[in-house]
Amino acid sequence: MITALRKEFLLQWRTRAQAVAVFVFGATALLLFSFAIGPNAAALRQHAAGFLWLGLLLSSTLTLSETFHAEMENRALEGLLLLPVSPRALYYGKAVANALQLILLGIALVPVMVVLYDAGTTRIPMLLVVIALGAAGISAPGTLYSAMTSQARAKQTLLPLLLFPLIVPVLLASVKATSLIILGDPMGQAQAWISLLLAFNGIYWSLCGLLFDRVVED
Amino acid sequence: MLPNERFPKLPYALLALGVLCLLAGSYLGLFVAPPEHFMGQVQRIMYVHVPTAWNDMLAFTFAFFSAVIFLFKSDFKWDARMEAAIEVGILFAFLLCCQGAIWAKPTWGVWWDWDPRLTTTAVLLFAFAGILALRRFVDDPVKRGVWSAVATIIAYVDVPIVYFSVRWWNSLHQVQSSPSTVSSQFYLPLRLNAFGVLFLMTAFIMLRARIASRRLASELVPPPADLAGELA
Amino acid sequence: MTGGYITGGWGFVWAAYGWTALVLTVYAVSLFVRLRKVR
Repeated sequence: MITALRKEFLLQWRTRAQAVAVFVFGATALLLFSFAIGPNAAALRQHAAGFLWLGLLLSSTLTLSETFHAEMENRALEGLLLLPVSPRALYYGKAVANALQLILLGIALVPVMVVLYDAGTTRIPMLLVVIALGAAGISAPGTLYSAMTSQARAKQTLLPLLLFPLIVPVLLASVKATSLIILGDPMGQAQAWISLLLAFNGIYWSLCGLLFDRVVED
Repeated sequence: MLPNERFPKLPYALLALGVLCLLAGSYLGLFVAPPEHFMGQVQRIMYVHVPTAWNDMLAFTFAFFSAVIFLFKSDFKWDARMEAAIEVGILFAFLLCCQGAIWAKPTWGVWWDWDPRLTTTAVLLFAFAGILALRRFVDDPVKRGVWSAVATIIAYVDVPIVYFSVRWWNSLHQVQSSPSTVSSQFYLPLRLNAFGVLFLMTAFIMLRARIASRRLASELVPPPADLAGELA
Repeated sequence: MTGGYITGGWGFVWAAYGWTALVLTVYAVSLFVRLRKVR
C-alpha cells in the first residue's frame, strides 16, 4: 500500500497546478457567500464555519472527480488491477491522498475565512483536528463514488448527487464544531461533534474499503 | 418463467386488500376517532403519516437486504427487487415530506420545522434518488447492479448517523413534539392504515420488480439471430 | 408541546389525505402503464 500511496503523491505533485486552481475556486466560493449575505459583519462571523465547509465541500467535487482521471485516460484501471496492488490498497492510497489534498485545501481556506468573515480563532490544534476529520469523512465515500462515476455517463453531475446527501453528518458535525471553535464553546460541546466525526470516519473508511473491490472488478 | 412472476395475481389481490384497509382505516380516522386534545383535527393526519413512515423504512430496509443478497448471489432478480424497493421508498419519502409539511404549517406556522425524522427522510429521499440516477447513467447491467447495490448499502448505513446528527443539531435550538406522536387511545385506524399501506407497498414493489426483471431480461439476452446474416 | 388548541384545520387534513391518495393512485397507474409497455 505504501507504493500505491507514493505513486499517488507523485501524481498529485505533478498536477499541483490543479491544486492551486481548486484553491482559487474555493476562495471564490467563500467570496460569493459573503456577497450573498451582505456586508453584515456579525452575520458573516456567525455563519463563517458554514461557509468554510460549504466552500470545501464544493471544491471537493473538483478534487474527487480527478481521482481516477489518470487511470481512465490510459485505461489503466484494468491495468492497475493486474499488478500485485490489491484493489483495497488502491482505494486506501487514493482515499488518503484525497483526504490530504482536502486537508491542505481546508487549511489554505482558513486565512480566507479569517479575513472575509472576521472569524479567527486561537484554538488552532482543535481546528486542525476538525478539518482533518471532516476532510477524511468527505474523502472516504467520495473516492469510492469517484471510481464509479468516472466510468459512467454524466459523471460531473453524478458525483455530487451521490455524495452530498451521504455526508450530511460530516457537514453538520464539522460546521458545528468549527463554529464552536470560532464563536466560543462554553459548554464544551465540540467534543461530541468530534466524536461523531470519528464514528463516521471509522465506519466509512472500513465499509468503503470493503466494498471497493466490487466496484472495480470486471 | 421470468423471475419475480411466480405469483402473477398476488399483487392485484394485495392492491385490492390494501385499498380496502385504507378506506376503512381512513374512514375511522377521519370521522369516528375523536379530535386530539392539543392538536385538534390536524392530528388526524397522523393516521396516514405514521403508517407511511413505517412502510417507508420497511421499503428501504428491503432494498438494503436485496442489495446485500445481490452482491453475494449475483442473481438479478434481487437487483430488480432492489430497484423496485428504492423507487417505492422514494415515493413514500416524498409523501412523508408532503404530509409532514401539511402537518407542520397549522401546528408550527412554518412548512418545515427541521424535525429530525422528517429531515432524515428528506436526506434519504435525495440519497436514493441519486442512486436511481446512477442506475440511469450506467449502461452495463452488471456494473449497474453492483454499483447501485454498493451505493444502497452505503446510503442505508448512513441513515441512523444522519438521524442522530440532525437530532443533536436540532436539539440545541428547539424542543418540540415530533409529528409522529399519536397520543390518541384510538389505535384501530392506525393499525388498519398501517396494514393498508403495507399491502400497497408490497404490491407496488412486486409489480415494479416485475417491470425491472422484464427490462433486464431483454438486456441480458444475446443479440438476435438475424445479426448473423449481417456478419456473414 | 403547544398549550393551545388548534382550531379548525380540516382543510389541512383533507389536503394530506387527498394528496396521499392522489400520489399513490398516479403511481399505481404508472406501474400498470409501464408493465403493459414492457410486456
